[in-house]
Amino acid sequence: MLKINPPEKWIETGLFMAAVVSAVAIVSILLLLIYFCLPLFSGNGLSRVFSWRWQPIDGQFGILPMCAGSLALSILALGIAFPPAIGICTLVHVLSRGVFARIVLILTHFMTGIPTVIYGFVSVFVLVPRIRSLSEAGTGFSLLTAAITLAILILPTIVLVCYTRLEQLDPVLRLASAAMGFTPIQQMRHVLMPAATKGVAAAAILGLGRAMGDTLISLMLAGNAAQFPGSLFTSFRSLTAHIGLVVATDSQSLAYQSVFAAGLVLFLLVAALNLIIRKTDNRITANAFLRVQETRHEQNF
Amino acid sequence: MEPAVVISNLEVLFFGKAVLKDIHLSLWPGRITVLVGPSGSGKSTLLRAINRLNEFFPDCQTRGSVSLHLQNQYHGDIYQNTIPLSDLRRRVGMVFQTPAVLPFSIEKNITMPLQVTVGLTGSALTERMTRALQEVALWDEVKDRLKSSANTLSGGQQQRLCLARVLALEPQILLLDEPTASLDYKSAARIESLLLNLKERYTILAISHSLSQTRRIADRVCVLRQGQLIQEMDRNDMADIRTFQGLMEAAF
Amino acid sequence: MNRISDRILVGLTWLSGIGMCMVVTGLLLFLIFHGIRQITPALFFGDTPWLKAITGQSPVFDGIWPAVTGTVLLVFLSSAIAVPVGVASGIYLAAYASSRQRAFWGSMVDLLSGTPSIVMGLFGFTMILFLRKTVNPTAQTGLFLAAVCIALLILPYLIRTSQAAIAGISTHLRLIGPAAGFSKWQNIRHVLLPLASRGILSGIILAVGRASEDTAVILLTGVVAQTGIPRNIWDKFEALPFRIYYLAAEHRNATELEQGFAVALVLLFLTGFLFAIAFLLNRYAENRWRIRRYQ
Ligand SMILES: Nc1ncnc2c1ncn2[C@@H]1O[C@H](COP(=O)(O)OP(=O)(O)OP(=O)(O)O)[C@@H](O)[C@H]1O
Ligand SMILES: [Mg+2]
Repeated sequence: MLKINPPEKWIETGLFMAAVVSAVAIVSILLLLIYFCLPLFSGNGLSRVFSWRWQPIDGQFGILPMCAGSLALSILALGIAFPPAIGICTLVHVLSRGVFARIVLILTHFMTGIPTVIYGFVSVFVLVPRIRSLSEAGTGFSLLTAAITLAILILPTIVLVCYTRLEQLDPVLRLASAAMGFTPIQQMRHVLMPAATKGVAAAAILGLGRAMGDTLISLMLAGNAAQFPGSLFTSFRSLTAHIGLVVATDSQSLAYQSVFAAGLVLFLLVAALNLIIRKTDNRITANAFLRVQETRHEQNF
Repeated sequence: MEPAVVISNLEVLFFGKAVLKDIHLSLWPGRITVLVGPSGSGKSTLLRAINRLNEFFPDCQTRGSVSLHLQNQYHGDIYQNTIPLSDLRRRVGMVFQTPAVLPFSIEKNITMPLQVTVGLTGSALTERMTRALQEVALWDEVKDRLKSSANTLSGGQQQRLCLARVLALEPQILLLDEPTASLDYKSAARIESLLLNLKERYTILAISHSLSQTRRIADRVCVLRQGQLIQEMDRNDMADIRTFQGLMEAAF
Repeated sequence: MNRISDRILVGLTWLSGIGMCMVVTGLLLFLIFHGIRQITPALFFGDTPWLKAITGQSPVFDGIWPAVTGTVLLVFLSSAIAVPVGVASGIYLAAYASSRQRAFWGSMVDLLSGTPSIVMGLFGFTMILFLRKTVNPTAQTGLFLAAVCIALLILPYLIRTSQAAIAGISTHLRLIGPAAGFSKWQNIRHVLLPLASRGILSGIILAVGRASEDTAVILLTGVVAQTGIPRNIWDKFEALPFRIYYLAAEHRNATELEQGFAVALVLLFLTGFLFAIAFLLNRYAENRWRIRRYQ
């Protein structure tokens, strides 16, 4: 009996359409955001939104404090997460290949699977009171609280991307340096890390992007006061939290427009980081990502 | 004279399967011992047993003993943890079957290991590097491009760079895993004469796939088959090319 | 001197490894300690008899049953949208696209995967605003909109895992089909997809886990604190992660707070379970194709 197969060409077209969906989605996100930002470009809308004051009652809709907040938060979080991430990579890659390394790796994988809201929730009850008592004044909902929690959130991403890149290095490098009498930590410091610099840098930027795109941690832990993050213990608001807060509460038109501006700024920032990653290490998207994205590589929540 | 390396009753297993068994072998300073044998017979594994590099691979077990007798410095079984691993590997230099250059500049390939493991700095460092590069006859080819990446060198140049890197560390024993495999005829001949010069100062164990090369450089030939040393030959056996070939054919 | 700094570094790496283990176990123990006693039928159904609650005969007021249904519906809908598109797209990228096409469409996928989820939510919200301005002045955020946005969020995972699963098949296995006279699609359908199925499946499970825990998207696309089970796909809905978020900020008394811990634990069990399955599937797939290079 003859089985009739659908024409190959149709199938290919169908699959191609599916592949186009992501491109269509990303372009429409960008266009829709730009469309809703357009009113800003008439009158003095732009200067009102890109100012340092957010006081909707007085007609002040500046989002610059939130931009500063997002930057401060993500850089601080990366600063806290990066050194231990490298440490953990070193540990599991060269120092301990036994049971402990395996446990650490599995836990790292597992950490990527813990919902963000849970990190935030636990932090509210564990970290906030401690920071509060540390700073004397203040509520404990602060830059430092959010940054520490966010650091824990992005740590596994950085570890896994770095680790994948290290595993991709030619094994001969380790063998050759060991044969010259390098101790494991020397191999890591002088051969493996330098050989994987690009991948490590890309991992850091990836972590930065994730930190910048995260909403819930700052929404739950930063206190959300629309002010410049002047110290580690001040309350502040990130761009992401700003979007969430304003859409949920306000409804004045300029407040909304500031939200679209915030969305656009965020989108462009993260897209720029994405571009930098590609420029730094083009293999990261092709290879390292593939294994890590299965662990929610760039998930922003 | 006493041997620099005494291997006795050595057995190496990968995943529970014996790759080398019942190996007894002594290496003397001032002599080149060449290891021959079919592919997969365990030659590289035997080399790696002497600097404990097999330990890098998962599920590898080593039994038996490998004793080093380095002049006035060290005396003992390396598998009894009597010598720190990094010291052992610095004294036993190894060149791999395929060139293993580090992805840095040519200069750094030689200086960095010296800085890290020996702690050399300054002019002593440059001096050693220059000397090592001259010894492998690479100096003239690279002296104008020391800062460019070692990956830009040709296969043969890379292999010579690896040899220079090992010589710069001033080991006492040299393990060479087919050091001329990726070289053209001329560079191979140069490495061969270099080895003949070096043999005064070192204890050399080399692997070779070429019978004529073996004849040119070997003071002693050991034939390995399926993980066992089945024959040893010295210069006398090699003197006549016919008898040598006959012996080798019988061995393979 | 080098030796000393090396020693210190080694100490620090162990410290960071042990520290990370302590953070994770601490977090788990903390949640279990505070929440485990609250995981009872009453947590889910409140005072309503569970049979009536499950069949939808009577509404649940105190329990998290509506949030559970909301999350399940959301995950189901978004997967129904994203899985076919994602897998198909992965197949295209792995088996049909030329390397330039792969790079181009792949960069789009990367952009999408880099888009913060709040921006994805904002996208959904602006779509509603757009609809209100144009065709439908009464358009509202709701379950379907949230599902579409979540689908966009998880799409990149699905694409990349299916692509990787197919691209990871060895050349030897790839050639079996064509050698037997299979057409390209027949080869994909009968050889490559079955071989890649574990990898694809693990990607789907991870995407499901991701869909079930995201909060930022639904925050802007129709989640509310109290609404009961949605009547249709345009209705507002409740969700587990939002419930946790809400309880952290708005708990009125100790009981509600304890409920928060319990809900967190339930969500963690759920995602942890999904994660474990995906991890095992993936490990298996990896071991099967792993090629190690030795000197
Ligand atoms: N890391 C490893 N894991 C498992 N088996 C190994 C490993 N290294 C070597 N073997 C096995 O040990 C045996 C000997 O390998 P070895 O590399 O020593 O051979 P060789 O004589 O050097 O061969 P060639 O001339 O091809 O280099 C082979 O059967 C090989 O498959
Ligand atoms: Mg070999």
